[in-house]
Amino acid sequence: MKKKILSVDDSKTIRLIIQKAFRNHDCQIFEAGDGQEGLAMAAKEKPDIIILDLTMPVMDGYEMLTKMKALPELQNIPVIMLTAEAGKDNVLRIAKMGVRDYVIKPFKEDVIVAKVGKIIELPLKPAAPKKYDDEIRLLVVEDKPAIIAQIQKALGHTRWKVEGLAQAAQAVDACAKQVSDIIIASLSLPEEGAYDLFTKLRGDSKTKGVPFIGLCLESATEEQSKARQAGFAGVVTKPIQPDKLEAAICRALNLDTASRYFQEREGTIVLTMPEQLDSTLADKLSLCSREKVMSGVESGIGKLVIDLSPLKSPNLDMVQFVVSVAEACSEFSLSYALIGSEAVIQECKKYEESQGWRITENLADAMAA
Amino acid sequence: MTTQSIPIEEVCDWLNTSVSDVFSTMFSSEAQSVPPLDSHGTTEPLVIGSVGFVGEMNGVVYISVTAAFARTLTSRMLGMPEAEIEGHEMVNDVIGELSNMIVGSVKSRLCDRGAPCVLTIPSIVRGQNFEVQPIKPSERRLLGFQCGTDHLAVEFLMKLSK
Repeated sequence: MKKKILSVDDSKTIRLIIQKAFRNHDCQIFEAGDGQEGLAMAAKEKPDIIILDLTMPVMDGYEMLTKMKALPELQNIPVIMLTAEAGKDNVLRIAKMGVRDYVIKPFKEDVIVAKVGKIIELPLKPAAPKKYDDEIRLLVVEDKPAIIAQIQKALGHTRWKVEGLAQAAQAVDACAKQVSDIIIASLSLPEEGAYDLFTKLRGDSKTKGVPFIGLCLESATEEQSKARQAGFAGVVTKPIQPDKLEAAICRALNLDTASRYFQEREGTIVLTMPEQLDSTLADKLSLCSREKVMSGVESGIGKLVIDLSPLKSPNLDMVQFVVSVAEACSEFSLSYALIGSEAVIQECKKYEESQGWRITENLADAMAA
Repeated sequence: MTTQSIPIEEVCDWLNTSVSDVFSTMFSSEAQSVPPLDSHGTTEPLVIGSVGFVGEMNGVVYISVTAAFARTLTSRMLGMPEAEIEGHEMVNDVIGELSNMIVGSVKSRLCDRGAPCVLTIPSIVRGQNFEVQPIKPSERRLLGFQCGTDHLAVEFLMKLSK
């Protein structure tokens, strides 16, 4: 269940800043413009925490808090007091009120989030799943420049941005400025730098969700095990194999990889099937195909060619997938053609939906069909 | 010349620090102390936030920016594009809150120094080609701040002691 935060402040600006501060967290923010409204809102919504301004018209924060303490249903709700006045007398007065914490204006958003996070659990909002085609930010922490260069070259065909840093301390600074989507860290960094970096970033609410991949020699099996036990999302061994590196990144980020199967050639979209197709991938590809068909027709694409020949075990999932893509093509009046191996042709003969399909041997024939 | 036991120049130092703190905290930017512009140095429309303090020491602080800069500050403070800011209400509220924060810090220091006082609620004045003139003898100081390419003026009036 989402956490409820009640923001009580006569300044709409402050209430908006508080809304903004918690935008990445899975919580509901309620608002009140004075203490009287705040009491009514607290009684109605039973928030998990109240951020309460001290100086307000109608009923100030002090009076609201006093009234709350007298009500059994509200007295245990933790309160963080907000004030522009940092004088000693004021701070003492606030401390005696029984509030859990206080914040002096001006304040940075992450200060209020951190203070609330110390009192109630504040989960982050689940992020929308990233796609293979997205501009993903990778941070490689590796003291060997040649390895960084290898990784950059291996991922050069993607839209991913790879930044390399030699030291874990530099990575902490970099993440403070901009959080990377994933971190690849050498497990042989001096003084257990990779694990130290992992622990530091896990302790920060902004970076705790960033997955880590460890880099080490293939023979370092103990190190690989240690990294996995520590919580690393995966390990890539040296010498680095580009396809394994890419697969590890896709797994760690749970990337929607459907779009990597599509290419545009001479006014045609070519969809090259993977070697294995299960129903989950078929659904993702089907969705992606529909989007590609729609955007392709918008941009003047004339045809979709589906190359089924890489499939090692053509099956019903393949047939159902082609049927769904054919429906999308029909909906947007886009012609399509199929390329397939002998195994694909034989499989298609088994099903009523696919018996009449014309399947060509190669791309040139498919484009001419 | 001093008013009571706290020199006005010290209060001006507090104002300098307060403006700098508010800008660095809320906008992650610098408000650099510069010689003040005469009559705010502009005929552009202005937005002025004012907050008074009443108690052992009495005075009022005016925070003055151009209307365009006020919209920029609103956009940055609320994290929304300027095009989405409709009317004056939101801008007035932001300038009022900034004035409250700037003067709130000074009020805290006054209280810590044995001159307790309370703040008035912020108020906003909009217009162009006007001046604020006190009618009773008072100390007046004008401070200027450069915030990137924009200017912020702080006018501080303090009632003289008898």
